[in-house]
Amino acid sequence: MSSPVLSLASIEKVFPNGVRGLSPVDLTVEKGDFVTLIGPSGCGKSTLLKLIANLHTPSGGKMNWWGGNFGDVGRKGRRMAFVFQDATLMPWATIAKNVRLPLDLEKVDRSTADKRALAALERVGLGHVTEHYPAQLSGGMKMRVSIARALVTEPDLLLMDEPFGALDEFTRNRLDEEMARLCYEDGLTTLFVTHALHEAAFLSSRVMVMAARPGRIHAEYEIDQSILRNEEFRLSDQFAGISRELAILLEDASRESMIQQEMRA
Amino acid sequence: MMSSRTFSLLAPVTLGIIILGIWEGICRFWHIPPYLMPSPSAIWRALMLDGVALLHALLITLEITFAALIAAVVGGVLVAFLLVQSPLIERCLMPYVVIMQVTPIVAIAPLIIILIHNTPLALTACAALVAIFPVISNTLQGLRSVDPDLAAYFQMHKASRLQTLIRLRIPSALPMFMAGLRIATGLSLVGAIVAEFVAGTGGNSAGLAYQILQSGFQMDIPRMFAALFLITVAGLVLYAAAASLQRFALRHRP
Repeated sequence: MSSPVLSLASIEKVFPNGVRGLSPVDLTVEKGDFVTLIGPSGCGKSTLLKLIANLHTPSGGKMNWWGGNFGDVGRKGRRMAFVFQDATLMPWATIAKNVRLPLDLEKVDRSTADKRALAALERVGLGHVTEHYPAQLSGGMKMRVSIARALVTEPDLLLMDEPFGALDEFTRNRLDEEMARLCYEDGLTTLFVTHALHEAAFLSSRVMVMAARPGRIHAEYEIDQSILRNEEFRLSDQFAGISRELAILLEDASRESMIQQEMRA
Repeated sequence: MMSSRTFSLLAPVTLGIIILGIWEGICRFWHIPPYLMPSPSAIWRALMLDGVALLHALLITLEITFAALIAAVVGGVLVAFLLVQSPLIERCLMPYVVIMQVTPIVAIAPLIIILIHNTPLALTACAALVAIFPVISNTLQGLRSVDPDLAAYFQMHKASRLQTLIRLRIPSALPMFMAGLRIATGLSLVGAIVAEFVAGTGGNSAGLAYQILQSGFQMDIPRMFAALFLITVAGLVLYAAAASLQRFALRHRP
């Protein structure tokens, strides 16, 4: 049996100012999972994602990527991609060059990189804007470019930090449907951070509900992986049921976060 | 209806013509002597009469201006790159950069002119000292204004120091650098003129500032105004050139 994509054992984070960002967290992500981290602000969901991306170092605990350590991440079969809350594109470079960036950094040759960048842009429906500049695109389009830049490396683990948080609801729903298509049809393993309950209910195969002060996992909620995530699902009773159950868990988590805060005060 | 572009050009030009007309009228009506206040027509005659000599002087001043600008940009960018390397280097060097900036150039120009015997070189050094500070401070700020998320992205993809410099830091610094360059262009001209004033070099290789001084000694005020007019035109052209370069370099950015 192969190792899980990601395994966290008692991962903690104490910030230099003494604030406890995360109390021991255990999390395992298997190939093909769509795991969502959701919770009130300050619950450490973004911190957890940054720890996994190796942008922060944990204060304690053990973390494995594909059973190994971070040094091996980036090799074939162990690629990780990150999508930020903002599109985080280079304003001075064309869309094609932006998408090609991770390949350029790996020194993939030019013509291969161009071909792959175009293919990635076509997957997000933006094959026609390769020579445009980010300033010429709308917020939703820029976010798609950002996703294309993640897909171009053919990631084995996709990390997304509230990627659609700054978009209007209509655009967000459209992008959620595209994400579901990309992730479930291609068997992409995804770890997704959001504070939007409906987004979590729509996309996830597993939802980790987090509580704050200190950040921790409060509850875990499984959603049938075989559900077809389309407009029909969004309007179904099943979706409404999932949303309601998640809302109860979230309410619980945020109440507990408040109690912790009051106890300290 | 005229376009707003035409209007924004036409309005100040019209105002200028009206002011010139009033100026000319006052000078003629009250018979103001040209050594007190020359009329625009007298200035124009002086410009026509001495045009070749003045243009030659302008060219010399512009040579110093460009040499100083190049020195300030190369030197300023190098210093900024040095400062950004480590907090220690910055802490050691930054006070001296500030000292250099706050010391008035007029005060140190005589010293530089004594130390450097080659006059054009001395003048260039003075002008470059005036122009270098905005290049240093803007480039420094530009090199630091990297989007932290983009920096994290580069780090995550295990980009080398060189890749990060070329693909991220330098392009991120460009807008601030271009703004610094625009300021430095104007300051190079100011520095060149101030240095010429202090040096007071005459002869065949004298710049426009010397022409102004000389005209003052000879009470040839129309010629003084003519020289001033040329400096202003040169300053405007330099400013416009720097602004176009800035627009061109940043044309794809919001």
